[in-house]
Amino acid sequence: MEIMRLVVTGPVGAGKSTFIRSVSEIEVVDTDRRTTDESAEMKAKTTVAFDFGRLQFTPKMALHLYGTPGQSRFDFMWDILIRKAHAYILLVAAHRPQQFRNARRILSFMNQRAKIPMIIGLTHTDCEDAWEEENIAIALGYIDPNKPPVIVKLNANEPPAVANATIALVQEFIQQSSNAEQVCLVT
Amino acid sequence: MGINTEQLSNILDNFVSSTNDVQGAALVTPDGLALAASLPGGMDEERVSAMSAAMLSLGERIGGELARGGIERIYVEGDQGYGVLTSCGEDAVFLVLASRAVKQGILMLEIKGALGELKSILI
Repeated sequence: MEIMRLVVTGPVGAGKSTFIRSVSEIEVVDTDRRTTDESAEMKAKTTVAFDFGRLQFTPKMALHLYGTPGQSRFDFMWDILIRKAHAYILLVAAHRPQQFRNARRILSFMNQRAKIPMIIGLTHTDCEDAWEEENIAIALGYIDPNKPPVIVKLNANEPPAVANATIALVQEFIQQSSNAEQVCLVT
Repeated sequence: MGINTEQLSNILDNFVSSTNDVQGAALVTPDGLALAASLPGGMDEERVSAMSAAMLSLGERIGGELARGGIERIYVEGDQGYGVLTSCGEDAVFLVLASRAVKQGILMLEIKGALGELKSILI
């Protein structure tokens, strides 16, 4: 049985915990605590260590999903989780441009530590003040039009949408590993 | 009436300076923000607070899911010393850092004493 470890990261309130709850087939191991920081008006509870979910992807492959905390004071958890990951998805709430800078910070943090496939998941794209996909890519530092990132739009509350995003991430991983002609799945 | 942070800091400072081989202490919220801290130089209050919250939440999760019951304390034993995490009521987590030389019985008693004082201010 192959196990693929996927990390779900992104700024506070992007939908990381919801993402994992939507796709996991086991009861999610969460570490939620009542929020007392500046994100308290956005949500009542926040992840302080990690969320863990599991999904039997194919008969031969299980996905282990790890959700990180969003606040940068927990960057030691980002570090622990990303070092063992096979691929990651960066969730960004499209209607909160003030958080794009945090998302970019997470992106560079992860890319410094792990050269692994990644995709971007946009949540809250149905909100009135949501930004366009291209503009968010630029805000996140993807300025080269020839090297666009893989971006999927999803509602973290809808399991089919989350499943699609997960498939896109696994595909990105398979594609990149076949490009490199080495599959480094650990059993 | 708000929480008297000055008093909290005083209790922590006293605790650290008056207990042999205790090197630092911090009181943090369960979501990892500092309420008060008296830490050795070079340790970042924000980081220490976040780590304390993460560790306690995982410990409590183990207590619940692996049927160990309510968690009294979490004990990290390194070859340089100890880190002890105790929950301090609903709204706070108490972290104590002690050197390897500390007498463990004394440490536990002192922590218990400090917890009593801290709780009386938090409530």
